[in-house]
Amino acid sequence: MADSKIVLQELTKEFKVKNGVLTAVDHVNLRVREGEFLCIVGPSGCGKTTLLRILAGLETATSGQMRIAQRNPDKPLNSMVFQDQSIFPWMSVRKNISFGLECRGVDRRTTRAVADRYIEMVGLTKFADAYPFQLSGGMKQRVSVARAFANDPEILLMDEPFAALDEQNKLLLQEELLRIWEGSNKTVVFITHSIDEALVLADRVIVMTAHPGTFKEEVEINLPRPRHIAELRQDPYFNELFAQVWEILKDEVAKAKEREGYSFHRRERSALDDESHMVM
Amino acid sequence: MVANQSTAVSEETVPREQPEWRRLRPSSDRLRSLLGLLSPLALLLLWEAGVHLGFVDYRFFPAPTSILMETWDMLLSGELVRDMGWSLSRIFVGFFGGGFLGLIVGLSMGLFRPVRLLLRPIVSAIYPIPKLALYPLILLVFGISETAMYFTIGLGTFFMVLINTQAGVLNLDKIYLDVAKNYGASRKDYYLKIALPGALPLIFTGIELGMGMALLLIVAAEMVGADAGIGQNIWTARDTFQIEKMFVSFFLIALLGYLFAELLAAIERRIVPWKRQEG
Repeated sequence: MADSKIVLQELTKEFKVKNGVLTAVDHVNLRVREGEFLCIVGPSGCGKTTLLRILAGLETATSGQMRIAQRNPDKPLNSMVFQDQSIFPWMSVRKNISFGLECRGVDRRTTRAVADRYIEMVGLTKFADAYPFQLSGGMKQRVSVARAFANDPEILLMDEPFAALDEQNKLLLQEELLRIWEGSNKTVVFITHSIDEALVLADRVIVMTAHPGTFKEEVEINLPRPRHIAELRQDPYFNELFAQVWEILKDEVAKAKEREGYSFHRRERSALDDESHMVM
Repeated sequence: MVANQSTAVSEETVPREQPEWRRLRPSSDRLRSLLGLLSPLALLLLWEAGVHLGFVDYRFFPAPTSILMETWDMLLSGELVRDMGWSLSRIFVGFFGGGFLGLIVGLSMGLFRPVRLLLRPIVSAIYPIPKLALYPLILLVFGISETAMYFTIGLGTFFMVLINTQAGVLNLDKIYLDVAKNYGASRKDYYLKIALPGALPLIFTGIELGMGMALLLIVAAEMVGADAGIGQNIWTARDTFQIEKMFVSFFLIALLGYLFAELLAAIERRIVPWKRQEG
């Protein structure tokens, strides 16, 4: 078994809210192998993003331990691909993709060469000098992915990077991601709410519970690589896995719905009460 | 049938629309600039006719043609160039000094909370005081001098640029700061790669407002504290009842305002190419 890249022990994150404390991540234990592609699937609002932000160093955990093994101290440890539009509108495609390298003080010629390589890899050569407002949503996320890869981190953290895209674009970007990643031996932690996406990409899928977020169960995805998404989907094993993960996730989605439904129901009832008052 | 019809319609409209759009564009541009010229020309014509027909009192509103003649005279005598030179030099020193300081303080207040908390009370206390209300005090401190005028204009520009720059930085989506942090940006990177370029559209709004403020202040300041300049010229014209001269100065200020706005817009197009330009 390969070495552990990331180890989380009893990791907990609490946020102070108006009336008390909200537990977003609840005693999570996790071991990510070196070079593994890990997908975390969970219902919306289960604390997936918070967990990733802790890994990225953008939040600090309230309690618990996090250990990340760094192979090369000269390289960045992690780079994040954000869910929302996060490429800088004031920089051209090339400048955006060079951002990490420029911050690290890599010399100009190398930066340019690396940036151009990734621009080509995501098929944006014609748009290298374009600004984000001239790009479609899919192109913007390509820039975001290229920016992370160009920075050459040991770990890639991806927060539902394709969630806002239409089906066709999503498929194209998933294939591109697989193609770029399969030659890179980087560790990836990828968050999604789509079982399909998780199965297509991951070596292992972890299902999170509804609020408060903790790990429920994990499924090893023993599909051969390199993977071709269209072929995978026809594989009976793939469908079996889908059913298996859905079975685990189903209850949690229902629970998450219940929580929403509960607050919705309360709101609706009080609205009805108001109405009855008005009638009287 | 229904489906057939709708495809037929969309197939027809798409190819037809595009060439039409291309053909319309230049002529509608021409139409727009024509319309923009029409209203001022009409007003001038009405005015000229009004003076000659006796509807307009020529003592207060001399005919455009006589204002034009006066402009020519002032141009020949060198008076026009001299006054404009004085006013422009005062505007530039005050405007650039105040604007540059406002930019630095505004960026720092936007990026760093402690700086913001420290300076905000002073800024919000002094900003709303009309700078002309302070002018008598400024004259006492600096005497009737160029410095007094630089300072007044600088003060007005400083606050306009500061407040808009700060707002520009504060309005930046927090995600950009997250990206900067995750990708290891240094303090210099935060200033030069994130805050400054990100706030540029609002900084330009600040500069535009500061420019208007500078024109307003220079004219008023020169009326009291200068012996040459556009403002002084207006004041002298009142004393000697040379109303044509007064109007020449009005048009001069209007022209300066217009030229500054065009110049700023050109600079903005160059250094903020990522902002969608609106017609």
